[in-house]
Amino acid sequence: MKTLMSFIKKEFLEQVRTSKIIILFIIFVILGIMNPAVAKLTPALMKYMSEELAQSGITINEVTITALDSWVQFYKNIPMGLLVFILIESSILTREYQSGTLILSLTKGFERYKVIIAKTVVLCILWTVLYFMCFGITYGYNAYFWDNSVAHNLVFSVMCYYIFGLWIISLMILFSVMSNANTIVLAETGLVVFLLYLLSMIKKVKEVSPTTLMDGTSLVYGLSKAKEYNIPLAVAILTLAACLCGSIPIFNKKQL
Amino acid sequence: MDMLKISNLHKHFGTKEVLKGVNLTIPEHSIYGFIGKNGAGKTTTMKTILGILKADEGEIIVNGKKAEYGETATNRFIGYLPDVPEFYSFMTPKEYLRFCGEITGMKKADIESNSKRLLDMVGLGSEKHRIKGFSRGMKQRLGIAQALLNSPKLLICDEPTSALDPVGRKEILDILLNVKDQTTVLFSTHILSDVERICTDIAFLKDGVVSTQGKLSDIKTKYRSDEYLFEMAEEADVRRLLERFKNIKQTGNNQLIFNEKEGSVFEVLSFITDNRIPLVKMERVEPTLESLFLEVVES
Ligand SMILES: Nc1ncnc2c1ncn2[C@@H]1O[C@H](COP(=O)(O)OP(=O)(O)OP(=O)(O)O)[C@@H](O)[C@H]1O
Ligand SMILES: [Mg+2]
Repeated sequence: MKTLMSFIKKEFLEQVRTSKIIILFIIFVILGIMNPAVAKLTPALMKYMSEELAQSGITINEVTITALDSWVQFYKNIPMGLLVFILIESSILTREYQSGTLILSLTKGFERYKVIIAKTVVLCILWTVLYFMCFGITYGYNAYFWDNSVAHNLVFSVMCYYIFGLWIISLMILFSVMSNANTIVLAETGLVVFLLYLLSMIKKVKEVSPTTLMDGTSLVYGLSKAKEYNIPLAVAILTLAACLCGSIPIFNKKQL
Repeated sequence: MDMLKISNLHKHFGTKEVLKGVNLTIPEHSIYGFIGKNGAGKTTTMKTILGILKADEGEIIVNGKKAEYGETATNRFIGYLPDVPEFYSFMTPKEYLRFCGEITGMKKADIESNSKRLLDMVGLGSEKHRIKGFSRGMKQRLGIAQALLNSPKLLICDEPTSALDPVGRKEILDILLNVKDQTTVLFSTHILSDVERICTDIAFLKDGVVSTQGKLSDIKTKYRSDEYLFEMAEEADVRRLLERFKNIKQTGNNQLIFNEKEGSVFEVLSFITDNRIPLVKMERVEPTLESLFLEVVES
């Protein structure tokens, strides 16, 4: 356990010294502020536009902004955060294969499975902190400007997207132990999400696919019921566990 | 007791059979020189011992325990210096050694004292910079330090002196000599003078098998040629000897080589005494490792 902690400590030191953490931190803060800011600016923007449109004969009614608009922005923008997170962190294992730095740790008797656990834990901690920080910022501004209680299933929808992020992390880990290049890890992760997203046009697939968890907008509007997300949640958690459990034996047999 | 025992080790890459049944036994407290041409399979053998490469066939016993591919249990006895060691470049040497100590479960106090001692020993004691900008020689020095950190029973070094300047080479060889009492050393090299200087045992790897192994002195005796070298004072005497003995060869200025396979050396000696020929030098020719290498590996 102590040896595992030392490896995790090393991972965080790397995240800090290679400036990964600071970049992610800044991006997630910006996203958190942007959601209420965009919502807040919408009426002004609309007013400006309507004056121009009025000249061409179109009239726009006065819009009223609520916290809901800010939450819609949140679900529009958080995929950007997740994407940056994936781009920056997808090399967490592959860069160690390519540089050969793992060899010395493993030839000292450090167990292989602990490498996987350490990397997974680090990614999960990072995602948890960054995601809820972004959520917290948006929540705070929303509470200050408007009233968060208009959003339906707010906590549930936020948890759904959080679990979706963890699911992506488990995919990245699995693809990282199966290939040596981080471009392949990126391509495979992207492909899985993209395909599932496309197939979700089919209602039967949408009812089970983890990509359904991304759709927080329908939840906060109350267009979807929370229980419709139970199966995608269960599928996500099961495949997440399977990916992580599968990664360890594959990594044990991997030639480094 | 044997620290390492390799039996019938096979390994191929694609269609290329690199190891074809390597057998190697390394007794405790020896310094074992592992010699072979480029591409002979030295690095491959070492990586298999460490469980980084999967053997096709064969068994490896380290300190009485079987080594398995993908498992790292037997590596606890081993310190390893790869041919091109790679470290976390964002750390300083001191931080790296602390990390190495921590992931192997060493006590804090031991880590502190060992890493300070080792860094001083390899000449990186005052290095405060991150590993990022290190030269190859500096990395090799740090490599030795990390390999010795947890006082391993078996130290495996892959060409430990290849990137070092002459002073550095001498320092590292002295370090290897010094750890002999606590550690068994296996190291591969092309530099035969290094082997001659510190090795107690050697093994030649050729065509995928160990063709010769044993005590350096035994092997030298075995391959000792029956040649004698005479150095004469006078040019005229050289000619006299050449005329009298058909099987004497001139090798240099006033130097003659006589091979005992073709007659007794005493005949030559008695000719010299009978004719009162002045001698500068007479010696039995010792085989050099170079000649051994050529004979064993190249033939
Ligand atoms: N990962 C690999 N894939 C394919 N072939 C390999 C691989 N590793 C080694 N080989 C081949 O195995 C042979 C032995 O390589 P190895 O590195 O063990 O030689 P070596 O004795 O250490 O040589 P050197 O003295 O140059 O270090 C070489 O011919 C090499 O081409
Ligand atoms: Mg080699």
